[in-house]
Amino acid sequence: MTVRVSGAGVIELSGRCGVEDAEVLQRHLLAAPASTIEWKGCELLHAAVVQVLLVGGARVRGEPRTAFLRAHIAPIIARSMKQP
Amino acid sequence: MDELLAQFLIESRELVDKAVDDLLALEKTPNNRERLEDAFRAFHTLKGGAGIVEFAAMQEALHCAEDAFAAARAESRSVSALDIGNCLSCLDQVLEWLGTIEQSGAIPPDADAGDIVALFARAGAQQKASAAPRTAGDGWLAGLLAAHASAASTARSAVRYTPEADCFFRQQDPLARIAALPGLLAVDIGPRVPWPKLDDLDPFSCNLTITALFATSPAEVAAALGDESRHAVIEAVSDRTRAIDAESLARKAAQILEAQLQLLAPAGEPHPQGRVASAGLVAANVLRHLGRSAESEAVATAAAVSIAEGRLEPLVEAIAAAMKGPTSAAAGASAARRKDVGQTMRVGADRIDALVRLTGELIVAKNSLGHSVKVAEQQVSDLAVPLKSQHAALDRLVTELQRAVVAMRVLPLRTAFQRFPRLIREISAELDKPAALVIDGEDTEADKAIVETIVEPLVHLLRNALDHGVEDGATRAQAGKPAVATIRLSAARDGEHVVIEVTDDGAGIDVTKIRQAALDRNLKAPEALAAMSDEEALDLVFLPGFSTAKTVTHLSGRGVGMDVVRTAVARLGGQVELRTAAGRGTTVRVTLPFSVLVTQVMTVEAGGQVFGIPLDAVVETLRVDSDRIFAVGAAHAIVLRDRTIPLLRLANVLTGRPNDHSDDSGPIVIAELDGQLGAVQVDRIGGRMDIILKPLDGLLAGVPGLAGSALLGDGGVLLVLDLAEVVQ
Repeated sequence: MTVRVSGAGVIELSGRCGVEDAEVLQRHLLAAPASTIEWKGCELLHAAVVQVLLVGGARVRGEPRTAFLRAHIAPIIARSMKQP
Repeated sequence: MDELLAQFLIESRELVDKAVDDLLALEKTPNNRERLEDAFRAFHTLKGGAGIVEFAAMQEALHCAEDAFAAARAESRSVSALDIGNCLSCLDQVLEWLGTIEQSGAIPPDADAGDIVALFARAGAQQKASAAPRTAGDGWLAGLLAAHASAASTARSAVRYTPEADCFFRQQDPLARIAALPGLLAVDIGPRVPWPKLDDLDPFSCNLTITALFATSPAEVAAALGDESRHAVIEAVSDRTRAIDAESLARKAAQILEAQLQLLAPAGEPHPQGRVASAGLVAANVLRHLGRSAESEAVATAAAVSIAEGRLEPLVEAIAAAMKGPTSAAAGASAARRKDVGQTMRVGADRIDALVRLTGELIVAKNSLGHSVKVAEQQVSDLAVPLKSQHAALDRLVTELQRAVVAMRVLPLRTAFQRFPRLIREISAELDKPAALVIDGEDTEADKAIVETIVEPLVHLLRNALDHGVEDGATRAQAGKPAVATIRLSAARDGEHVVIEVTDDGAGIDVTKIRQAALDRNLKAPEALAAMSDEEALDLVFLPGFSTAKTVTHLSGRGVGMDVVRTAVARLGGQVELRTAAGRGTTVRVTLPFSVLVTQVMTVEAGGQVFGIPLDAVVETLRVDSDRIFAVGAAHAIVLRDRTIPLLRLANVLTGRPNDHSDDSGPIVIAELDGQLGAVQVDRIGGRMDIILKPLDGLLAGVPGLAGSALLGDGGVLLVLDLAEVVQ
């Protein structure tokens, strides 16, 4: 599973998250809007998943595996985060 | 005039000054959001004031200007030069109205804002016609460059990619496509249409607009994008597009850092690691983008420490420290500006002047106490010792009071200088000579009287510099000079003096032409001209009558009203000098006393009476043997260090007797008067003292050679000489 609820209020993204993960993530976030996203095992995020993260304003933690995600996507997601 | 209107006048004038300041700054850095906001606020407050005193025309005119700003803010574009010009015209109109109110004591009933309204209406129409498509395109690029400063410096192309909404269905990943493009430097993602709520989001429909910067050329990017370049706008990034306003960038960065600090504000959450990590990452990225890699590293390290220890503090401190760094300089300056405003109190100038007058009287009273002490000492009175110590205490207090009062009358020269950028802008447009005014040391302080009075002479000097100093475009091009001339206006404190210099990078003054012009105008005898050094000849431009004819101005390249400048400066107790370098420009140096309250004089005795000589003018005092004084025609002179200096005997000059040097034993005072040395022989030289110089009035008012009078400690009156007049 690339998207799974790994604990109370934590959604884990790992490996290569494809377009189909967007809907799953959206469901998890709607169920627990205050969830933190742990993406340290993440290698790829499909644009559709990024879109859900941006709309959901979810908080992410950890450092994803690829430089592209770390350097370019992390700051964008951080900016969209809802203020706690 | 009623009090409300009087207050309105004062405040409106201040706001107009402020707005002009902001507008000129905006003209230089059109993307400076802070200045835009400041200017907008100034106009808004002005309009509000006009509303309170029910001045409808002024409200209407300002409303138009406000609209122009509002439009620029809403479209997040910069204010156009056209808008700035119109806003300045609007402020001119406002000043004119304020002037009318001041004179008549009432709001002009016939005031009409029609011209201003028409001005803005025309500008609005023009802007809509020409700028609409371009601003839309420029907006994203400027934003992208501003958000990624360090990437922007190496970027060669920028892409705005708006994939089709159904691209996810076609197994496309627009983000992966961007990531795979060669030379990717920075990415931003935004919604194509505003984001819906999460539960309304269709996860299979792409609503993304991806903007990115690349180190590769637009052609390479287009080739790599292939078919998808149909959905992309690819722009070349040139130096011009890169020229974004550094200040706004720093501010934006500060805002992001501030947001991270807010994010880190303790919320009692048991596991803050997520927040710490993201805030640390964002802050470190922002700093890295700004090229502040050391601070970026420090923040990243602090974030790691925070995560490891489960405490927020290390990261909070690191971010706060970074915010105090280079970025805070600009913010700090503006905060200081605001603080200044908060801590000032408006006191009428007349009240301060009353205080100055009283302090003057107190100094005189203190001096007379000093006299009493001397008398007591001579009479070996018991009172002598206590009197002496009390006099010393009083002396100290009065000196402190005097310093405080002087400081109260002190203003930064900025208050005088702030109108000059606009002046240069106007003259430069009028003469069609592009010029930039560089102002240095505008924080230098000087007495209010000086700051206020120096404006006029400086206007003269600046106009001269641009009109006659700076060459026309063709000549500059030929000389290999930049097309935009630089006029430098600098001020600095030099001991008890304030030195203001106006420098141009023009052609300089041709001294031979000055000599010729002086000859043509019969200002000096040919022999006298021949004997003059170049410096002395240069000084001829200050002679009254030198500059009356336009042809002379044309010939010399300078000279409009230089005598007026010298007279005005001399009235303030200052001096003007001129330096020039052929082909490289001219500098006019104005030296003024720091304070006009106290004048230092040296007392001299001549013909049985004591006079004061302003110490400013005195270069040295000396005695010479009578055989070193020789006759030059009917006059006398001495030779000092190989220079021939005309010598006058003060007693003879003041009594109108012929210049008889039969008794040549007295000491000689060498004085510098407008760059030239003169020698005055007196009978005796006394001490030095601080006096409050009072201009002469009544019977003595018209007496030449006298600068004023001062009351002495023993109740006597000291006449203070104006050496320049004496020597003439």
